[in-house]
Amino acid sequence: MTQENLSGAAPSLARLVQELNRLPGIGPKSAQRLAYYIIRLPDDEAYALADAVTSVKQNVVFCEDCQNLTDSSPCLVCSDPRRDRTMLCVVEDPLDVLAMERTQSYRGLYHVLHGVISPINGIGPDQLKLKELFVRLAQPELTEMVVATNPTLEGEATAMYIRRHKGREDLRITHLARGLPVGGSLEYTDETTLTRAFQGRQEI
Amino acid sequence: MAPPRTYRCEAIILSYTPLGEADLLVTMFTREQGKVRAVGKGARRSTSKLVGHLEPLTVVRMSMAHGRSMDIISQAEVVQSFAGLKEDLTAITKGLYLAELVDGFGSEASANPDLFQLTLDSLRAVQADPSSDMPLRSFEFHLLQVSGLMPELYHCVECRQELEPGAHRFSPNVGGTLCPDCNPDDAHLRPLSLRALKVLRLFDRSSITEACKLSVDGSLAEELKSLLSTTVGYWLGKEIRSDSFLECLHKESLPEVYI
Repeated sequence: MTQENLSGAAPSLARLVQELNRLPGIGPKSAQRLAYYIIRLPDDEAYALADAVTSVKQNVVFCEDCQNLTDSSPCLVCSDPRRDRTMLCVVEDPLDVLAMERTQSYRGLYHVLHGVISPINGIGPDQLKLKELFVRLAQPELTEMVVATNPTLEGEATAMYIRRHKGREDLRITHLARGLPVGGSLEYTDETTLTRAFQGRQEI
Repeated sequence: MAPPRTYRCEAIILSYTPLGEADLLVTMFTREQGKVRAVGKGARRSTSKLVGHLEPLTVVRMSMAHGRSMDIISQAEVVQSFAGLKEDLTAITKGLYLAELVDGFGSEASANPDLFQLTLDSLRAVQADPSSDMPLRSFEFHLLQVSGLMPELYHCVECRQELEPGAHRFSPNVGGTLCPDCNPDDAHLRPLSLRALKVLRLFDRSSITEACKLSVDGSLAEELKSLLSTTVGYWLGKEIRSDSFLECLHKESLPEVYI
């Protein structure tokens, strides 16, 4: 929303609308609706929201090991002695760690890249947490790295770059299985996915 | 009679960006309508019927519906996936370099079937030999040709005299090659060796497939790369972003920690 559209609004309200409008996926109308919703909130709820925004900016840091976002470094996962330190799962974003943790089937450590190599958007290896990953790969107790980047063109390109630079020949590198999603349909599956699903078929 | 609400097209997917909760905003180059930006509703969900069909560097047969602000992808079926190209990091990067140039030179709502075919042929050439740079050079040259920006290679652009064998100069700003006698005040002027001029003329009369059979030495390859990517960048009016990662792949060494 431009300043002209807010000419009749109180300056503090106009400022809130403008700040909300900066958020991804929030257009001018949505920003206006959210601002009026916040005004109508009870004081304690509105202050809790403001406090949460302030707190997240003041307290959240990158974990010195896995580069995930955390309140204290090292993060809860990296400092947990029950975690399997022979396995490292490389993911694109912090949300991918949450998705993996929901499965409760992986007990190793993580490394968050904070993006993927995207030549067309000018994002190269230097903009990602790859240097930190290559340092971690030198740890002798590590025996397997699971590259869990998304099965997209850029995710695959990032996985190839990591494999090319892994450094240690004795390190096992795997990626997540490719195939059909639960609830999917063969009819609509693309040929690459179906080929990989067929190659990875299992006995029943 | 109102125009039909739906249409079909064949498209090369150039790129996409996430949109909203689970949608994709897809940029594609179609044979029938030139560059098109359309929304794939729910295409980021793993069970979407569109998932896997909208990856960049894939040729797709589309069913589309006209939307209020942007068209909507209703169906997509892969025609050619370029699976071989997508198994090699350098080939992927070269493919994305082509996609970035097509995105930059392609116009919306303006069909350019020659550019569509050129892109297809170039992707096939990259897939056939990922280590060769000749598909990129040939693509850059023919991209100028199909975009109406073909440089002059046979006569001096200043005096119009036929070019004699020898060293010349080249500038995208004046439209091509200059003889040794003409000296316009031009910041983009650069030397052009006879060997490079011969390769450009070969590109002019050859298809991509024929041009890719050509083998050149390192210094000539560098001259051609510098000349053509600079010319393409000049007309594009901005930096070719995927070129820097391509350069990085060529030059890179292992990370410092393992040296």
